[in-house]
Amino acid sequence: MRAALGVLALAVGTSAAVLGIATLGLGLRRGDERLLRNGRRYVFVVLAAAALAAAAMEWALLTHDFSIEYVAENNARATPLLFTITGLWAALEGSILLWALVLGGYLAFMARRFRDRANDPLVAWATLTGLAVALFFFVLMLGPANPFKTLADVPSDGAGPNPLLQNHPLMAFHPPMLYLGYVGFTVPFSFAIAALVTGRFGEGWLADTRRATLVAWGFLTAGILLGAWWSYEVLGWGGYWAWDPVENASLLPWLTGTAFIHSVIVQERRGMLRVWNLSLVIATFCLTILGTFLTRSGVVDSVHSFTQSAIGPMLLGFLGIVAAVGIGLIAWRGDRLRAPGRIDSPVSRESAFLANNLLFAALAFVVLLGTVYPLLAEALQDRRLSVGEPYFDRMTTPIGIGLLFLMAAAPALPWRATTGEVLRRRLLVPAWSGAAVMVLAVVFGARELAQVLTFGLAAFALAGIARQFAVGARAHGVARVVRSNPRLYGGLVVHVGVVLVAVAIASSSSYSTKREVRLRSGESATVRGYTVTYLDSDRERSGQKTTVSAQVRVERGGDDLGVYAPAISTFPNSTSGIGTPSVHTGLREDVYLTLVSSPNERGRVTIGVAVNPLILWLWIGGGVMALGTLIALAPSLQPFRRRKPTPAVGLRRQNDEEREPVPV
Amino acid sequence: MKGRAIGAAAVCAVAVVAIVVLGVVLSKNVVYFRTVSEAVEERAGGGGDGRLRLAGEVVPGSITETARGVRFEVTDGEATADVIHRGDPPDLFKEGAPVVCEGRWSESDVFASDRILIKHGSEYEPPDVDSGEKASGDKASA
Repeated sequence: MRAALGVLALAVGTSAAVLGIATLGLGLRRGDERLLRNGRRYVFVVLAAAALAAAAMEWALLTHDFSIEYVAENNARATPLLFTITGLWAALEGSILLWALVLGGYLAFMARRFRDRANDPLVAWATLTGLAVALFFFVLMLGPANPFKTLADVPSDGAGPNPLLQNHPLMAFHPPMLYLGYVGFTVPFSFAIAALVTGRFGEGWLADTRRATLVAWGFLTAGILLGAWWSYEVLGWGGYWAWDPVENASLLPWLTGTAFIHSVIVQERRGMLRVWNLSLVIATFCLTILGTFLTRSGVVDSVHSFTQSAIGPMLLGFLGIVAAVGIGLIAWRGDRLRAPGRIDSPVSRESAFLANNLLFAALAFVVLLGTVYPLLAEALQDRRLSVGEPYFDRMTTPIGIGLLFLMAAAPALPWRATTGEVLRRRLLVPAWSGAAVMVLAVVFGARELAQVLTFGLAAFALAGIARQFAVGARAHGVARVVRSNPRLYGGLVVHVGVVLVAVAIASSSSYSTKREVRLRSGESATVRGYTVTYLDSDRERSGQKTTVSAQVRVERGGDDLGVYAPAISTFPNSTSGIGTPSVHTGLREDVYLTLVSSPNERGRVTIGVAVNPLILWLWIGGGVMALGTLIALAPSLQPFRRRKPTPAVGLRRQNDEEREPVPV
Repeated sequence: MKGRAIGAAAVCAVAVVAIVVLGVVLSKNVVYFRTVSEAVEERAGGGGDGRLRLAGEVVPGSITETARGVRFEVTDGEATADVIHRGDPPDLFKEGAPVVCEGRWSESDVFASDRILIKHGSEYEPPDVDSGEKASGDKASA
């Protein structure tokens, strides 16, 4: 019943996508406005179908309908309610369904936002592209990734979700955030394709998609940082980032997306970098598909495992088609894409943005190479290997520091060209602040170049941002400074978040202390000034979960910081234990406790004790970045104003900063 | 135009240097994945200097605790290697468990591991081993 409803919804969605594409295609060909207006309505049918299918799946999960294979594999009667609901995105098929739902939502938003421009070919082509992407995911679900596949023998109980996914409430938020980010890039991608097809690759499509891109970027940022948080709080290996292929898959589109957000400004202001911007958007979308392919096809475990299901080859084929269409269109339009502007001076805002983009692209390439190299080596040479973390650390650190430098200096540079006088006035104080902090860092014992530079550049950047806020406050008054230009000041707030994240990464990566101590009941050990005493352990069962936890008292210099309980949980559907760390969080440092091995026959436990400095600031920085993104989106809170259709090729807006708000 | 040419040459030079650095750093940090027999064979042939992941099963009866960790043997049914691991092994480390040890060969051809991964289920198929026959006994004193 539920399965039938789900499959019916999927079939409706597929047909709506096909009909929408056909109607829009025909309308574009004939220039028939009525067809174009009707075509866009199919977007809402696609959304309704995806929502119905997702609702059918939730209904099946909540009623433990184990006749559906997906439910039987990812749910059990004893699964808590929260993890029953999150079961929708606990495995491949369900997460493709979530993907389709989110995509339907974005497309519907897009169709509504451009409802007055339904007969604008740019919008029609963008809608058509979006529907084509949706069609692919619906076909995937009707074919190899069918979430509603039924079982002939209905089991009396299901297996339950992967233990790692039912150990922490963060699981409820991290994947949807990531998907809202991933899928959101479909909107700028669709417009980029539409701009190429219609030949209107001026600045119009950028203005049309600015907000959607920012929304997607904000969600992706939040999703990545929530993933890091989850890794730190749940996985219990003591870190937050392991350069794991799954993590890299989420980082890659973020890198190109971040590059895009910056280079867009250059095109808006100077009309340059058109090919580059189109390429970045198409690359970002390709990387989201690549990420899905890497994480969802099993290819990471072995190149040879992904062909076991048709999902991997289908995703790879789709990736190939998207890349070929994108590159083909850019090549076809190549002669007309030549930009009117030129870089006048190497010391100017546009040069800094260009350098920023080259560094982001290089960073993306480094991460991409390290991520896919094992796959290539296995596919081409049949050698199994992995790329160690030092590769990523060593290659990304200098690029990251270069980006930090640009982030500190670039906002102070004027467009086109500059004079020594301007540079002195704008950069002298920030540069001295940076230098002073570097000296202080060395005095206080920092020895590694990368760390000293990071701290110095962080101060440089913060001082520069403070200066800009001060200048803005002088011009507009303190209360109205942000409102005067939300895009600029929102961006600067995001930069403050980046500074916090960078400092947290630099400190935690080199000043952490990690030790494993073996203790019997009542014994203590001291790690970097913290005394940990093992008190007792107990064993507890709840639902499917059996948990062994150790009570550990943490003290520092006689102050009792409380009793913490790192634990190991086991689930019947998995042989391996899931560690749950227990963290004493502080503004200055965290004490991170893990239960490495549960009491042995002599009652001795091994407890991992790590002291990680400034980790809290990583999460605070993430929050600040999210806040900055919201500020940059702020004008949509002002009264809604209709915009005129975007101008054709070549017409540039005069003053980007004073432009009227563009509601999504 | 001359300035442009110089600029282009400089960009190319930077790109070449960057790619060379990338290649060198990548090749230095590649961790090969070997079964015990592959690793032992490679070591006998004079190779195997880098970091690698050694996959096999823990030989029953071979686990002894050391001051800093554990010492045990792994086998894939054809060859056996001595492993000294620094740090406590993970919770599911036990006799006969399929493990992947990451580390490098020491001078005395003992594998010095600093990371043990226990793989299971769909993620990783351990090599098929008749764990009792060839592996037990003969190297217990090593």
